[in-house]
Amino acid sequence: MIERTPILDAVTHALMLLGLVLAALPIVVVFVASTHDLATVNRVPMPLWPGDHMAENYARVWDKSRFGEKMLNSLIVATGVTVGKITIAALSAFSIVYFRYRLRMVFFWLIFITLMLPLEVRIVPTYAVAADALQPFRVIAGGFGLELGIPQINLLNSYAGLILPLVATATGTFLYRQFFLTVPDELAEAAKMDGAGPMRFFIDVLIPLSRANMAALATIMFVYAWNQYLWPLLITTDQKMATATMQLQKLVPGPLFGQPPLWNEAMAATLMVMAPPLLVVVFMQGWFVKGLVASDK
Amino acid sequence: MEKRAAFSDLRLAGALIAPQLLLVFVFFYWPAAQAVYWAFTTQPPFGGSNEWVGFQNFEQIFTDRVYWNSVGVSFLFAGLSTALSVGMALLFALFVDRRLTGYRVHRFIYFWPYAVAAPAVGLAFRFIFAPEAGFVSAVNQWVPGLWNPALDGKDALALIVLANSWKMVAYNFIFFLAALQSIPRPLIEAAAMDGAGVLRRARDIQFPLLAPTFFFLLVINVTESFVDSFGIVDITTGGGPARATDLMVYKIYSDGFKGLDYSMAAAQSIVLMGVVIVLTFIQFRYVERRVHYS
Amino acid sequence: MKNAIIAAVAAAALLGSSGAEAQQRIKFEYWYGLTGQLGEILEQHCKRFNDAQQKFEAVCVGQGGYDKAEQNTIAAYRSKQHPTVVQIYDAGTVNFMLSGAIYPANQFAKDFSIDIDWSNYFPGIANYYATSKGEMWSFPYNSSTALLYWNKDAWAKIGKTKAPETIEEWFDDLRKMKAAGVECGFGFDYDTWMPLEQFSAIHNLPIATKANGYGGLDAELVFNKTKFADYMKDWKKLLDEGVARIQTAQVGKTIVQSFTDGTCASVLSSVANHGVVGSTAKPGLNWGVAMLPVYKDFKRHNSLVGGASLWVMQGKSRQEYEGAAALMKFLSTPEEALWYSTANAYIPVTKTGFDFMNKNGFYQDPKHAGRELAITSLTFTPPTENSRGIRLGNFTQIRAEIRSELEAAFTGKKDMQVALDEAAARSNQILRRFEQTFKGKTLP
Repeated sequence: MIERTPILDAVTHALMLLGLVLAALPIVVVFVASTHDLATVNRVPMPLWPGDHMAENYARVWDKSRFGEKMLNSLIVATGVTVGKITIAALSAFSIVYFRYRLRMVFFWLIFITLMLPLEVRIVPTYAVAADALQPFRVIAGGFGLELGIPQINLLNSYAGLILPLVATATGTFLYRQFFLTVPDELAEAAKMDGAGPMRFFIDVLIPLSRANMAALATIMFVYAWNQYLWPLLITTDQKMATATMQLQKLVPGPLFGQPPLWNEAMAATLMVMAPPLLVVVFMQGWFVKGLVASDK
Repeated sequence: MEKRAAFSDLRLAGALIAPQLLLVFVFFYWPAAQAVYWAFTTQPPFGGSNEWVGFQNFEQIFTDRVYWNSVGVSFLFAGLSTALSVGMALLFALFVDRRLTGYRVHRFIYFWPYAVAAPAVGLAFRFIFAPEAGFVSAVNQWVPGLWNPALDGKDALALIVLANSWKMVAYNFIFFLAALQSIPRPLIEAAAMDGAGVLRRARDIQFPLLAPTFFFLLVINVTESFVDSFGIVDITTGGGPARATDLMVYKIYSDGFKGLDYSMAAAQSIVLMGVVIVLTFIQFRYVERRVHYS
Repeated sequence: MKNAIIAAVAAAALLGSSGAEAQQRIKFEYWYGLTGQLGEILEQHCKRFNDAQQKFEAVCVGQGGYDKAEQNTIAAYRSKQHPTVVQIYDAGTVNFMLSGAIYPANQFAKDFSIDIDWSNYFPGIANYYATSKGEMWSFPYNSSTALLYWNKDAWAKIGKTKAPETIEEWFDDLRKMKAAGVECGFGFDYDTWMPLEQFSAIHNLPIATKANGYGGLDAELVFNKTKFADYMKDWKKLLDEGVARIQTAQVGKTIVQSFTDGTCASVLSSVANHGVVGSTAKPGLNWGVAMLPVYKDFKRHNSLVGGASLWVMQGKSRQEYEGAAALMKFLSTPEEALWYSTANAYIPVTKTGFDFMNKNGFYQDPKHAGRELAITSLTFTPPTENSRGIRLGNFTQIRAEIRSELEAAFTGKKDMQVALDEAAARSNQILRRFEQTFKGKTLP
């Protein structure tokens, strides 16, 4: 910056440092706890420095929980949700913002309202749909007296079952709508004058413009999907389909069992499960920076 | 918020939005409609014969003191955590956007909390803020009994607000920073050369341009505080002590799936949804109007 | 358009579910609720069954908690995707009995010729899972009961070498210990299993009318009018005096942790934690277990079983049931009782299991010292109407209501009696609601 503001700079540094401590402390605690043996972790107060049991804790949890295949499942699910979500959200927001038809606000609200009733509170009927995905259509057709022979599709224990219900939410659509609204009208007008169709405009103009948004949404969706645990816990009974976050739950005994958890192992697992979304966050940061540099020119 | 330029190929418009509508219908509206039906019946957990009871379920919750307590707690929680997390995030984003030495490190670390799963956040916070074991236990050594979320409802509420905000600050920060960084640098530099100070620039240039993001975050934060705070409550306080942190969404979950009273839970979900829709509507109506889309 | 979508969804589903390769063994699903170390041990037990024979394979799936095991099983049952066998905790017994979704254990054993002598089960255990007519509808599995864990060194400070037998003596000891400089005499947890359920059983006090609910769904809670109310008031007094302390996970240390690190001189906990206390106690901790103390004007009765039992569910194939029958036979052998009780600290559920373990020197091992007290406590008297179990609808929620009110009372927000009255009133509402939901059904 071109001006000199020493006092403000000092304040800035102090505040940023505070933020740094606030943001990092819990994660540091998790890390430190994962490097001690059980007795040390349970000591009060817990030591602030890492111990020397890190390797064995991590290796034991990795084997015990069979994290290899679970991480792979989580990766497939999180990627599926991210890609599916970005595609669907961009398309539907494009439809809502750039086309003029009477139902568009209705559609917007129809999609938007899904933000307001979380999966936790409608999990039982949602499970029923996952066990028989075409059931709504069969029931509706039945209502009209039609026997279409719609097959039963069971999404339990499948990637589709893990992915699709998570894609059916509104965050992305809302985000894209907000972004599209800030895009200057002149761009669309120019495109129309050049005789470009809507898809041309979408692909050549909107997509490149929304790259930073897309990066943000991808990060959010990846993290969101990776961190799901209630839904996967319910619909996967086959260990081959289990995800990594589900495993976290198993490592910490519920309150009914009274016994102290193996905190060191649980924290080691927590860090391992946390790592991939964290890596995504790190990677996506690069994108933000690039977008930034481009806009600086 | 109307676009002047719009396309008119309605078949295309329909095709573009169809996949989303289809998914939303199958995995949201269909199950939600079943929940609505349950709200007016008594639904035995294992299915089978349910009986139509009209508004009895709603009467029961609205005459229940405990339910109103949970409504009050939810509003308090949503207000506090939204104010705290949006405010802090804005502050941090503005400072980081000044790009002083080391800002990359900060930007990097501030993102972290967002990547942490809710159960893990809950566990970490339970540990850190435990009155007898964690780091905060130190305050109790100076002033005994000052901090005890297990016994004092206010402390417990503070704990879940902090845990929730910690996660949401990171989320909001991402958006504020992305928005700030999309403001053309030369614009700010030109203003600085014209002698506009930091505060002035924030007020005249950055805040107006941040308005759409701010609105987006406001809606998302309020909504999430109401509907998405289950995980944190479940792991830190379990709704206690003496229902001091019994958020609406937690009560729905515990009545419905721990208590297996699907109908009562369904009635409560409908109320919760109503509350959130009204709140969102108000925000759209009164806040979005003031937001300038360039 | 729609066809294309159906095809896409179908393709996606196929893509997803192609994991299982064809195998010779007959598979059946077995869902369980235990987590952490106890869950791992159950997993090993499952593996032992699979290794012990060639014909069947139990596919054991942890559901991440007792409550989740119940919820998930119900959701699955509604979509006909439920397991053949499921582990359900004590509080879920009523729901399953009324569900119409289960294959009663006694009928199942008869149909699949499992040779079980039902009288071989300890009556305290059997009654909890039996109908009011005494027919067992599920197979007891991991079972425990409550014991007093006491720190011998703390008691030595007041010159005593024996655990208190009456509650009066215990309270007296606690006050003396406080005077002798013991920081925390007793760690209190609101979890109703200990203070309410076990207390009422050993004092032969009703928790609810209609024989604690065994006699019908129209039972009403009465715990606010029994000696239990005095017991809670006494504890409140002791807490205010600083003799006892609240120890929950939220405070940072559970009762077990506060006992093993030597802070609290006594706690009430499940015998299932005997092994955990042994392995996590700080070096040199000199501890023992005893039966729960009783008020001196009361005659001691048997304590209640806790834990979970295995339920067989309706709507499975004959082959799957044969697998489940093989599993039940396997689990009921004395050898497996010994293995299971050695791996964790659950108690054997049958007399033959107990005798076998006794003969094999299990109880002579100093590591297991005192565990036989669990059996003594559980079989102290023949079960009465008040000590055979609790059969109340939606008991999970009732526990939660009582807990909330106890929290309010112990933190000084409410008078204890007011809180208990309110807990009873709210719990009665839950029972009426349950009765309405299950209208027309009666308890077997």
